[in-house]
Amino acid sequence: MTDPTPTMPTNYPTAKGFCLTSAFWMVVATSMGLLGATELIAPDLTENVGWLVFGRIRPIHVNLVLFGFVTPGLLAAAFYYVPKLLRTELYSEKLGVITVLAWNFTMVFVVVSLALGYTQGREYAEMIWPIDMLIVGGFSLVFVNLIMTVARRKEPILYVSVWYVCAGIVLTAVTFCLGNVIWRPNTGSLVGIPDAILLWFYGHNVFGLLLTPLSAGVAYYVIPRACRAPLYSHTLSLFGFWSLLVVYTHIGTHHLLQVPVPTWLKVISIVDSVAMVIPVMAFLINIWYTAKGKLGEIHADIGAKFVFTGTIMYFFVSIQGSMMALPDVQRVTHFNNWVVAHAHVGVLGFAGMIALGGIYYILPRITGRPLYSRFLADFQYWMILIGVIGFTVVLTIVGLIQGNAWLNGETVYRVLPEMHVYYITRASLGLMIFSSALMGLYNIVRSIFFNTGEIS
Amino acid sequence: MYFPYFITYMALGFAISLAVFFWALKNGQFKDQKRARFLPLEDEHEPSAAKISTFHRYEAYVLVLLAVAGLAASGAVLIFALLNANGA
Repeated sequence: MTDPTPTMPTNYPTAKGFCLTSAFWMVVATSMGLLGATELIAPDLTENVGWLVFGRIRPIHVNLVLFGFVTPGLLAAAFYYVPKLLRTELYSEKLGVITVLAWNFTMVFVVVSLALGYTQGREYAEMIWPIDMLIVGGFSLVFVNLIMTVARRKEPILYVSVWYVCAGIVLTAVTFCLGNVIWRPNTGSLVGIPDAILLWFYGHNVFGLLLTPLSAGVAYYVIPRACRAPLYSHTLSLFGFWSLLVVYTHIGTHHLLQVPVPTWLKVISIVDSVAMVIPVMAFLINIWYTAKGKLGEIHADIGAKFVFTGTIMYFFVSIQGSMMALPDVQRVTHFNNWVVAHAHVGVLGFAGMIALGGIYYILPRITGRPLYSRFLADFQYWMILIGVIGFTVVLTIVGLIQGNAWLNGETVYRVLPEMHVYYITRASLGLMIFSSALMGLYNIVRSIFFNTGEIS
Repeated sequence: MYFPYFITYMALGFAISLAVFFWALKNGQFKDQKRARFLPLEDEHEPSAAKISTFHRYEAYVLVLLAVAGLAASGAVLIFALLNANGA
């Protein structure tokens, strides 16, 4: 059963489809982000264009980043590494391609419905019921394909990446149903405080039970391969996996510390937010010890370089997250741009970087040819790195200005001029990230379709 | 009434998690951890590195020009904003 039989060659249509999906929707998502940032500088820019007002652009940006760019990017790598690690073929490439097509149609519906103003008005759960169903359907298709691949495996041991990706998909499908209150199609919500609790249980688990496990899965595959070294400890990785499930599921209510939710729930959310240091450090110690003394190898592979940078961002965003759950810290940092900075480090700096890293790592392997342009990928890497660090600095400053002004009872109109210059800086950094997304799309399309590189 | 949904969800979550955990325990997923460390390294050869020759020169110039234009636009916006910060 442990016979190292090489897997059958395939064209990896599912992985390629998800690479293209991610690259395309990254362009759309970042363009929406840029437009939203511009509207914050010039609110009258789209005043008579209803479908482009900030209130519609912002949820389009957020949902496309989550489900259009980052998740498909991480899934692209998963559809490559899961069969490899299990030494079998993907259960059904046909089903995979159908999933890719359905996923893209769903994203089109997301954009059109939100732009037309069809929204349930709950952060991260804005989509209306039919689209919720399409998203759950998409995750279900992915899960069937992956779990059937696991069932047909020739390798008896499930490597930690397989654990992470399977758990991430099934947990998200289920949590998405609960968070979107799918048993109430008309409103997609409960009433009052229970609705807020449910929403933030889901809202934080989108990061904790979807992006984090999928990103960890990619990192646990790419880093040992790029370093040509075994994982530092598989036992530690499994400990990190199970502790993530235990701890992360409880922290959503830290978004509601200034709201009359039950105190015991707040205490649990704060304690577990701080306890997140356990799964986070289990992951980081494992990855960094695997890479110890091998940074040259990581630098040599652009995919691994993206992924490794993502792990560093994970360190920062996680430590920041644990601290932000403390009530005294949150009095200053909550309900302002500090949180926006935090979200960008997490979703773009950590999960987005790892999604791009996964794509660039697998592209030469699924096409059989070298990446179209290492130079463009490197350029994109630096633009995103500068962009996301810039976002963090600028928005953190704005957050502190807003938070302190609020605490001091300052009126909003006196604070807005102070924030203006930072908002302009943010928009200019957003332009960089949008440009880098265009560059990435070009590079990925050329790598898959018009690659004249030598077949390896 | 929302408690039934919460409780059902939590009960299902616990049941599935425990079932998977005990399946893993019984199935030997926590044994042979030393071999598991090497799983990503098995199989397949490494593809050759990206070659400069595949990157047509004129395309490189155009793309670099575009990227630099993007960066320059960002920089110009920033400088303009900083210079006019007091007048805002």
